[in-house]
Amino acid sequence: MSTLTLREAPPERLDLTGLDPARLAGLSEAEAARLAVGTSRRGLTLGDCFAISLDGSDCLRILGATDRLDRVGAGLAAGRIVVEGDVGQRLGAGMRGGTLTVSGSAGPFAGTAATGGTIRIAGDAAGSAGGAVHGAAAGLDGATLVIGGSAGDRLGDRMRAGLIVAKRAGVHAGARMIAGTIVADEIGDYPGYGMRRGTLVAARHGALLPTFVETGRQDLVVLRLLAKSLQALAPEAAALLRAPLRRYSGDLATLGKGELFAPVG
Amino acid sequence: MTAWINGQAVVRDEAVAAAAALLAGARSPVFAGLCAETAAVQAAFDLARVIGASLDPVAGSSLYADLGALASGGAMTTTPAEARGRADLVLALGAAPWASDIVTELAAEGPVRGRAAGRSRTLLALGGGGDGAVQHIAYPAGEAGLAAAIGLLRGLVAGRIAGPHPLADLAARLREALYGVVLYDPAEIGALGAEMLNGLVKDLNETTRCFALPLGDPYQGRAVAQVAAWSTGQGPRVGYGRGHPEHDPWRFDAERQAAAGEVDAALWLASLPAPLPTWIRTVPTVALLGEPKGDEARVVIGVGVPGEALGAALWHPRRAAIAWQEPRQEPRQEPQQDPQREPGSPLPGISPAAAILAELQARLAASPAPHPERASC
Repeated sequence: MSTLTLREAPPERLDLTGLDPARLAGLSEAEAARLAVGTSRRGLTLGDCFAISLDGSDCLRILGATDRLDRVGAGLAAGRIVVEGDVGQRLGAGMRGGTLTVSGSAGPFAGTAATGGTIRIAGDAAGSAGGAVHGAAAGLDGATLVIGGSAGDRLGDRMRAGLIVAKRAGVHAGARMIAGTIVADEIGDYPGYGMRRGTLVAARHGALLPTFVETGRQDLVVLRLLAKSLQALAPEAAALLRAPLRRYSGDLATLGKGELFAPVG
Repeated sequence: MTAWINGQAVVRDEAVAAAAALLAGARSPVFAGLCAETAAVQAAFDLARVIGASLDPVAGSSLYADLGALASGGAMTTTPAEARGRADLVLALGAAPWASDIVTELAAEGPVRGRAAGRSRTLLALGGGGDGAVQHIAYPAGEAGLAAAIGLLRGLVAGRIAGPHPLADLAARLREALYGVVLYDPAEIGALGAEMLNGLVKDLNETTRCFALPLGDPYQGRAVAQVAAWSTGQGPRVGYGRGHPEHDPWRFDAERQAAAGEVDAALWLASLPAPLPTWIRTVPTVALLGEPKGDEARVVIGVGVPGEALGAALWHPRRAAIAWQEPRQEPRQEPQQDPQREPGSPLPGISPAAAILAELQARLAASPAPHPERASC
């Protein structure tokens, strides 16, 4: 297992784009130490900030991580990255495969534009987890994002495909969704603002938009299939999907082919 | 006196030298405010490129509410002058339009050009309204707020929501108008609301004409967006830390950077009045101010006020474009026109901010360590 250990809190944000097991496997420790990670004109390199230990395996551990580490696991295609600590913005951005786990919390835009693989955040995620960055065509785009704690506002903003499971989310969860699925125990006010398609499932939710209409109690095969697929990943979320659910359709401001499921009761 | 260091009046060159020293050693400087004439904003972008600074206008948050919507789905907008000439229907969203002069101006006359010429002009309000001085029809936004009401209106206009509804009449009026204009403040309706509004306007353009008309910010933000576009091809929140302009509205938000302790020096540019943020007090800052008191920052340098002391290119709200504004008085002699000046001698009059920034750039580009030595974490 290869290991990068942050020596001390970095004096500037660091960009860890492309630092994945496959790329490091082809490098000696001295070569890896010369990789640029700084974002200021000082030109900080990996070796300036991290103690590096490489063994060519497909698993990379990042120890002592802080919220100044941006784009951790960005572009990951295969293998495993395990982060101990917090991370900054755009965790796993554009990721295509493999697994990425964070023991702490993540900054905004976790999983943005990720097309494959699984991201697990044990703690909280800031705003727009699984959401699109400024001007981007899509947020989460096929990957799986699991947030153990609370997600901020606009969870899954403009996501196009994939699955997000979170304990809680702030306001405007599923805003501008193009497609995909979000399952959460609790979401805030006005979920699904501007959503075109896609599915939101929540045990509890805040105020609904006037452009969401109830379409009755539904017993859909697809929900049972979704529950089955979630069983291994998030058993609580799977249990929620097996309960009797009421369906709301929206956002009728836009295409209106999205839906919100909440327990009957 | 027009220059201060730590609140003590000094000659200008001394302050410029102190400013250069303050910025030269910085790891991650930020240039904020940018409430100034385009020449000064351009000079700030040029200096930022030289020293690896990031930039964020004081108008940043309201500007990005609109830029985010524009980048996501585009916009169909018009100008106040076109609205006055052509609109037979004006919908004012929220409270902000009623605090501007534009509603009164639009209410004073009807359309004189285009397909609606000769018609009367109807003024509508959603989620706001005037005090009765301007005749209008007011519609309630509902308890879900303005952004939700815009979405509801869009659903009604497109026919996805039918039946009797308090906003159904408003939707019908928008569809029947020949040239509709929707006035809004991006800061008030937010990025999601602005994007929904642009969607509403585009839907209406399937069958008639309708345009969004954002109220500009009072801090030259729209002009800064244009300078940023022609300088970097991107929005104004860019950073040159890695040499090339990186656009990242979250990362380069100056207030966020200051709160996170990510900036170690700042340059505050406000040749026109702009509210000083509190973080200026906690970060070593050079302030270039049109109306300085002297104690606003570690180094304060007074600069000419555009449109008063000097002619300048400024945002023209009515034309929604950058336009030249003549000075109200004779322009004073500019320092760069005086190459014979002895170093260290005080300058006559007050310099334009662009001249100070150019001088800073010359000093910093000539400094022996434009890229300070690398240090480990």
